Amino acid sequence: MIANILRSREFILNLLVLLALALLPAVAGRFYIYILSVILVMGLLAMSLNLLAGHGGTYQFHHAAFYGVGAYTAALLITRTALPAWVGFAAGPVMAALAGLIIGGICVRLNKLYFGMLQISLGSLLWIIVLRWYGLTAGDDGIHGIPMPAFLSTSTGIYYFVLSVTTACLALMYLILKSPFGATLRAIRDNPQRCEAVGINVRRHQLAAIVIATFFAGAAGVLFVVLESSVYPDMLFWVLSLEIFIMCLLGGWFTFYGPMLGAAIMVALRTFVGSTTEYWTLILGVVLILLIFFLPEGLMGFDLRKLIRARRRRAYPSVPE
Amino acid sequence: MKRERFLSVGLRLALAACALAALIPAAAEARNIKVGIVDTYSGPPAVFGNDALNGFKMAVDEINQKGVLGGKIEFVTRDDKFKVDIGLTMAKELVLKENVDLIVGTVNSGLAMAVSDAVAKKEKIPYFAWMSKSENITGKAGHRYVFSTTENTAMAGKTAASVLSKRPIKRIWVAGDDYEYGHALDESFTRYMKLMKPDVEFIGRTWWKVGEPDLVPYFTSIQAANPDLIHFCTGGASMANVLKTIKTTGIHQKIPIYIHTAIDYAVLKPLGTEAPEGVMGTMDYLFYYPEVESNRKFVKDYQARFNAPPGFPAFHAYTTAYLIAEGFRKAGKIDKEAFIDAVEGLTVDTPVGKVEMRACDHQAVYPMLFGTTKISKEFGAAVATDILTLRGAEVMPTCEEIKAARK
Amino acid sequence: METSVTIAGFISQLLVGLSRAMILFIVASGLSFILGVLRVPNVAHGSLYMIGAFVAHSVATAVGGSSGFWLALVAAPLAVALISLVAERLLFCHLYEREHLMLLLFTFALMLILGDLTKMTWGADYRSITAPPFLQGSVPVLGTALPRYNLFLLIIGPLVAVGLWLISTRTTFGKIARAAAVDREMVGAVGINVSWVFAMAFVLGCLLAGLGGALVAPTVSITLGMDHTIIIEAFLIVTIGGLGNIWGAMAGALIFGLTQSLGVLFLPQFAIVFPYLAVVCILSLKPTGLLKSVW
Repeated sequence: MIANILRSREFILNLLVLLALALLPAVAGRFYIYILSVILVMGLLAMSLNLLAGHGGTYQFHHAAFYGVGAYTAALLITRTALPAWVGFAAGPVMAALAGLIIGGICVRLNKLYFGMLQISLGSLLWIIVLRWYGLTAGDDGIHGIPMPAFLSTSTGIYYFVLSVTTACLALMYLILKSPFGATLRAIRDNPQRCEAVGINVRRHQLAAIVIATFFAGAAGVLFVVLESSVYPDMLFWVLSLEIFIMCLLGGWFTFYGPMLGAAIMVALRTFVGSTTEYWTLILGVVLILLIFFLPEGLMGFDLRKLIRARRRRAYPSVPE
Repeated sequence: MKRERFLSVGLRLALAACALAALIPAAAEARNIKVGIVDTYSGPPAVFGNDALNGFKMAVDEINQKGVLGGKIEFVTRDDKFKVDIGLTMAKELVLKENVDLIVGTVNSGLAMAVSDAVAKKEKIPYFAWMSKSENITGKAGHRYVFSTTENTAMAGKTAASVLSKRPIKRIWVAGDDYEYGHALDESFTRYMKLMKPDVEFIGRTWWKVGEPDLVPYFTSIQAANPDLIHFCTGGASMANVLKTIKTTGIHQKIPIYIHTAIDYAVLKPLGTEAPEGVMGTMDYLFYYPEVESNRKFVKDYQARFNAPPGFPAFHAYTTAYLIAEGFRKAGKIDKEAFIDAVEGLTVDTPVGKVEMRACDHQAVYPMLFGTTKISKEFGAAVATDILTLRGAEVMPTCEEIKAARK
Repeated sequence: METSVTIAGFISQLLVGLSRAMILFIVASGLSFILGVLRVPNVAHGSLYMIGAFVAHSVATAVGGSSGFWLALVAAPLAVALISLVAERLLFCHLYEREHLMLLLFTFALMLILGDLTKMTWGADYRSITAPPFLQGSVPVLGTALPRYNLFLLIIGPLVAVGLWLISTRTTFGKIARAAAVDREMVGAVGINVSWVFAMAFVLGCLLAGLGGALVAPTVSITLGMDHTIIIEAFLIVTIGGLGNIWGAMAGALIFGLTQSLGVLFLPQFAIVFPYLAVVCILSLKPTGLLKSVW
């Protein structure tokens, strides 16, 4: 499988993009490097959600909760213990996956909207704990000025760290989606009854997908800590969860890179439109409505579908039948 | 809308400034000082953000008539939406892309602390926190690049304790919004009260979530304990809820009540004549007090321009603008480090008299006011009466305390 | 630091919890009705509630006095109903066949737009209105004082519940709406204009959001951002009650209101956690809610 991937045209294209991104700090200003880092972090988060929502058909309504768990785990381990920062970085995704296992384990017994609502209430419970456990989490002010290792003190250093972690995560995600497990996941999304009938344990597969996706969400949380040296309770608020959904919608549900594109659009909108008008959410709302009406599969989804029809044999691994 | 008009005025002013700058090549040496404002212009806290912006604009227009070091003060605003991540991005944009000389803002104290650390300290750029009342900003999290031009929770607590420790109060109940600001108010009042009156007793604490719509259940349990004083730790939108509930339950007729900023006109005005009377509050600025010429002129100008009396954010922002202007004049050049050295210990004239920027912690020394609410026929709302003024130096944590906290 | 639990304290807390539940019920029942009939998880419901409160403020201050308050109570739901009618005819009615997730995101977009439009119209200031004099102050109940306005809410809540129940069981519109909720193709097939029924159902649900906003206005400060807090609570109430079930919304609202107000008595620090814990418990035991869902 891997040999095939390495030989494919997509892989070479990806490599070129990565090379371009790696060379960017030489030409782009510091602010753009920073914004690019923000996009990568949000994109990773959105793509981890898309693993469930787009590829798995799961109503993961409160994905931000796991992003927050990852970030807070790293932040607390770094500020409250003498452990090296690396331990915090590694513990973030693991804790997020653990939270995913527990919350997912409770939720997978339910379907669709009920799944989503139960997850919102469990996620909100996490949010409230972070908000109320004043002694541990410093409440609503959050934790700021989290010390970072020396090589993460410059914006270029941070950028390369974010870029390499994101690339590694995306590669892993791609492999997972390409694997038989990924195929099963899409089959479950398209027809859970039939999967059940042929002997697939639907719940167990969904739970595994949740654990994987929350692991990556936790990784995005850790990257946020690296980038901003801050954590705050709004990272676990339900509004952020919907914003991540919007990124997936903007870019395209059924594509691999769609959510990354969506994240780029969202961050760009909020940075550049947000600095000229205070009503940027109005613009975002209108854009969204237009999108839902005319391009429900997102910007990338649209083009890709045409592409698929033309080259059905080499169908993209993540596009539904 | 109002803001739009101000914006267009600001825009025209900025354009005029640019045109002027282009016309005068002789002043090539001098350049404008660029101030980046990150503040909340959407959501409920926009009330504070807009008021501050108005005060700042007014001061900048006054200052620019004379100019600073041959140039002018110009500013750009960014809306942080009361969110930490957006605010941080905006602050970084202002510093890295717009190349501002300094940043000011913001309502959200979490964001103020994030900006102070991740932008001001890292990028070595002066930052004036003009509205976040967390004492940590210039207290234990303080550093060379951060200044505060607002009163803070430590000053509020010490002011109230100075007055209330002299009254026959022994058993105190604390209640408030369960967030950083509420806890900080409680912590500081309790600390100074115990210091000034060791036999005082804190018999209970009640915290509700911010934005809790129905406070009656909490009030009934407090009333049952019958304390000598209730200290409500609240602010913003919740303040109106607390005052309304005080009025409906009539608790203020039986038990004295103290709330920081309860005498703020912006809080009392929407309640009209429905505000509870006799509630004690502290404040660092009231537009109708003190009745001195400088304040009267400030209020008159502000009212003529913005159709409303200035609130404390306008006063803070106005003071900030003068500190910036005087700081650069004293430094003699547009240089960040020289500016910081110049601002330390600098004194400027403000509507309420001379205000010093204390060198040891970078905290503006404001006189503090302690008053009691009373319905005024003239205003059609409650205002503060029996106002006591405490000198800023008396109600601030000492430089030794700051030094100890920063260790 | 413990709050002593007395009988009087308990009863007062109970009544307050009940009256709080009434507001939650009125908002949640509208949401539930829309979910039941149209299958739309309407996130913008909270924005309509907020707009209801703002309209109530404008009307109450423009007219003044206690007649202003009563007029506001009528005008706010009607204004909100009008807004929702426009939104339904212009946008929603084309989307009913879409997936729930799309509808959810669509209503979220609507929430963003309505939020900014509210700010453009009313600005960011805090607002506040007062109830008419005979609803002000409090009456002594078993040794504690209970605000009259809370008692007023205790009367309005059940009235709305019964009214909604009568509409959905006794009127032709209600019967068609309930039938459409179960099988919309069938209703269409027998020659009924489903589109019209859906529009009316949507408007009725939104009207309740506006009513909730108008009723809550005298007890809180009316601000932007009111929508964020109410909508999640309303969704959770609807979920634990059983999607689309009016009495389920009532049960959910009571659980939500009471767990919190009684939680204050026993563990004030974590009172807010109790409703969420209750939701988790209920959904773990009865995944599709307490009462029968119409889905």
